Amino acid sequence: MKAFRALLALGVLALTASPALADGNVRCNAGPTAAWKPLSEVRKRAWQEGWTVVKAQIEGDCFEVYARTETGQAVEAFFHPVTLQKLLVKRRGSEVYRAPGFTG
Amino acid sequence: MKPARLLLWLVLAIPAALMLRGLSSGETLAMDLLHPSGEMAVRLMVLALLPGPLAEVFGRSRFLCSWLAVRRNFGVAAFAYAALHLAFYAIDMRLFSAMLEELALPAIWTGWLALALMIPPAAISFDAAMRRLRRRWQQVQYLVYAALAAALVHWLLLDWEWRSALVHFLPLAIAWGLRALHRRNRKGKAA
Repeated sequence: MKAFRALLALGVLALTASPALADGNVRCNAGPTAAWKPLSEVRKRAWQEGWTVVKAQIEGDCFEVYARTETGQAVEAFFHPVTLQKLLVKRRGSEVYRAPGFTG
Repeated sequence: MKPARLLLWLVLAIPAALMLRGLSSGETLAMDLLHPSGEMAVRLMVLALLPGPLAEVFGRSRFLCSWLAVRRNFGVAAFAYAALHLAFYAIDMRLFSAMLEELALPAIWTGWLALALMIPPAAISFDAAMRRLRRRWQQVQYLVYAALAAALVHWLLLDWEWRSALVHFLPLAIAWGLRALHRRNRKGKAA
């Protein structure tokens, strides 16, 4: 019965745990936030790419943008908060662009 | 419908109601509801699959009997949340052509496959079908295992975050492991 209770507790724990998103693993090495550009700047930067921004947010030490490309593809991109350089672009979990030398 | 079952369905509908309220009020984007709706579908699938092996290992206690009696409801609710997940995806993508365009991506077609595999078991989840199909009914229900496997791959390919997926699937893996041990021990005793 003890084993059953332990299993039940584990199950409840598992089913109520809130998962961490892998996107939080991307590191932009952005430094102190005082030097960061405002989030509105990254929206503009994405617009310059020809994208339609669905959502822009801070994720870890990166600017993360969810957008639609000109051809309608759903993309998720990471920009450097200081330089606004496009560092990483993913499409449904697959990497479609990585800036040369970016390892974060 | 019995009052207890009605209450269960009301409880199961609460997360969906909250999601739809967030979407209709404009507070939440459809893309932000993809994760919670997909996760709910997986959680309910796990709840539907867990009591079987647990009852085999620990015996049919009152609690497990009650759980077994309502597991079909969890299965149907899992399908409903998977359908809601698809609806949020369609709203987020806006264009059907855009959905078709990314259908070939492994992270996407595995999701479609999981949903398709859930259709037959969900479609025959009522008493009359159970009576009429008998043994065949059980065989069709096994498709849920394949749906769960496809959903796991879908999740892993989209998120690349194995920990959250593992947390959801671990209880089932443990229950299956215990059942395998239990069957082996029983076989050993019988021999």
